[in-house]
Amino acid sequence: MPPFLDALLALAMVALATLALLDRQLVRACAWFVAFAVSVALTWWSVGFIWLALLELLLGALLTGAFLFHALDIRQWASAPRGRLARWRDPVPLTWQRALMRLLPALAVLIMLAIALDNLAGTPGPLLVGGMGLIGLGLWAFALHRHLLRRLLAFNVIGTGIFLILMALVGDRNTAAGHGLVVTGLLVALLGTALGALLIRRLNRLDGRRILDVAEAGRSRA
Amino acid sequence: MIEWLGLHTAYSNQFSDSLLVLLVLMVPLLMGGVAAFWRPQRRWPVSFVILMALLTLGLLALFLLARQILEHGSQAWLIELGPLALHWRANGLTLLLLLLTQIVTLASAAYAPAYLKSEVGRGGAQAWLWPLQGVLTTSLSLIWLAGDLLTLYIGLELMGLAAVGLMLLPGRMEALAAGMRYLLLALVGSLAFLLGVALLLGGWGRLDLAGLAMLAEPGPVLWVSVALLSAGLLLKAAAFPLHAWLAPVHSSAWTPVSALHAALVVKGSFFIAVQLWVVLVPEAKAAAWLVGAMGGAAVLWGGVLAWRSVKLKDVVAWSTVSQLGYLLLGFSLLIGTGPTVAAVAWEGTWLQLAAHSLAKAGMFLATGNLIFSTGESHVKGLAGASRRMPLSLLSFGIASISLIGLPPSGGFTAKWLLLHAALEAGYLPWLAALALGTLLSAAYVFRVFRYSFVEDAEPLDYRRVPWSMEFFAMILALASLLLGLVAEWPLLLLRAPGGEP
Repeated sequence: MPPFLDALLALAMVALATLALLDRQLVRACAWFVAFAVSVALTWWSVGFIWLALLELLLGALLTGAFLFHALDIRQWASAPRGRLARWRDPVPLTWQRALMRLLPALAVLIMLAIALDNLAGTPGPLLVGGMGLIGLGLWAFALHRHLLRRLLAFNVIGTGIFLILMALVGDRNTAAGHGLVVTGLLVALLGTALGALLIRRLNRLDGRRILDVAEAGRSRA
Repeated sequence: MIEWLGLHTAYSNQFSDSLLVLLVLMVPLLMGGVAAFWRPQRRWPVSFVILMALLTLGLLALFLLARQILEHGSQAWLIELGPLALHWRANGLTLLLLLLTQIVTLASAAYAPAYLKSEVGRGGAQAWLWPLQGVLTTSLSLIWLAGDLLTLYIGLELMGLAAVGLMLLPGRMEALAAGMRYLLLALVGSLAFLLGVALLLGGWGRLDLAGLAMLAEPGPVLWVSVALLSAGLLLKAAAFPLHAWLAPVHSSAWTPVSALHAALVVKGSFFIAVQLWVVLVPEAKAAAWLVGAMGGAAVLWGGVLAWRSVKLKDVVAWSTVSQLGYLLLGFSLLIGTGPTVAAVAWEGTWLQLAAHSLAKAGMFLATGNLIFSTGESHVKGLAGASRRMPLSLLSFGIASISLIGLPPSGGFTAKWLLLHAALEAGYLPWLAALALGTLLSAAYVFRVFRYSFVEDAEPLDYRRVPWSMEFFAMILALASLLLGLVAEWPLLLLRAPGGEP
């Protein structure tokens, strides 16, 4: 695999994850997340883990995406009433100060991780670089956002970053153990996302009014 | 010290040898399924017969396993799944924890039918209670048995998801909100754990604890991975600065679920943390001291908040934070101290774990009875309760004897051993934490009693508590008391061949 393609894949993953985590419109954010999962599957395939690529496509892109859209209560694009649109927007405003403050814990973890990885010799491939980027980005987004769906997205991004680093460290020495861990992790991420999505939907139904009120207040202030 | 964990045992990869362990793991799942299919409230004769048969099978398997261990020392099994190998082992400590898990889960499951019928009525997703309890028991058993990081990871994740599921069952707004927060936190905790495991696997290329104990060398990789592993586990174990999620989770959950959670789930993460430190960084005295200081702070802070709590369930939940602090104190006395100190602290820690599990489960069930009977969830609502519910109050009192650490309870013996170890190690601040913690726990328990003995309160309408609810609360409370009188038995198990300190 030529090096520039590696770099391109790592860059694509991080860029798609950024879009998924920062887009203010939740439906679009979820769509970006599905694209991100597909790019991860491509990365797995490019380094030769065919089974992981297929699993990522099935669990990460297809099923997780389905649950995310289910959480947003989307059935048909066109006939959605106007009231729902408010729920599809993230009501909590982003500010620069908050964003910078929440960057610090993510940076601390990244530095710690970089020191450890530096001691585990090896040339940094797309898995390692992409994984580090995703972990940092995910941690930052997790600390930054209050919206439950965004936190689920951030959790999935961090998880993917960890899987990438794990397989980069394992290489072709202990592939069985690495696969065992990653498959367990993927299943847990799917179950966690599914549970979270069902919960968000139930919470929305029980508390829909309050969330709508917050959204209205946010819009009138802006 | 690593030999106390029974990790260095010859592994047997014969399938027939692992049959007993598989039975111990499978029976709770089967029982959960049976109870969900034939609900005990409706068709109790059918489910009773089948459940009793399964229970006998499970207990028989556990008994045979115990005999094997007591006669031949610790046992270990290699479970091969294609190219993947899982390492399981059992020694005296495993046996003690397995027994504890079965007793507490069985009591909580048997408490549930009457509770659901009379307190909950038709609300919530009741059919899921028993299967999830079964999954929880199996995952905890897997954690006690695990000898490698992959099994530990699987067990930890199963336990976390089952615990979240149990919290959600009431289906009300507060329960769902608390459950969502708990889910996110459990997921983050497990990510930290997985990252730590990834570094260990990358560094030394293996996942079995015995192998890692031999190979792992001190260095940035080891320290960062242990830091990540401990952060994830301590978050899940509600250790002091990371404890804030515990009380809200309990206040909206069903009583038998609260009992199970406080008694067992937080202990699972604590057990993994102890095991990993003993295996990977047995000499990290300064870091262990820090963990112990967190424990001391937890004892005091949890005690103060339990004393100030307005709601009855919050008193019990905050007392869990405080009592977990004692476990962390024991933890710090295990790492980097001399062999004599560690030997005493080892017994004290596991005895405290067992005594607290039984006492706290009993106390939660008794608290549930009090709330059921008065219909009040506030401590003040108990005014005059002493005239109508002596049995529930008695269970509450017996459980609190062990929590405070008065003789002859299990809690007393455990705290005595911890005190002894702290004195011998010269950790003087720990003595102050132990003494103040005892005073605080006496304060919050007697506050509950003070309200219940108010004589001039206007009479409330009390509901009769079903006998089975009284019975199981009492059984668990009595067990925590008896544990002190027969403390030799659990200690005998800890000293079984291949596990003696």
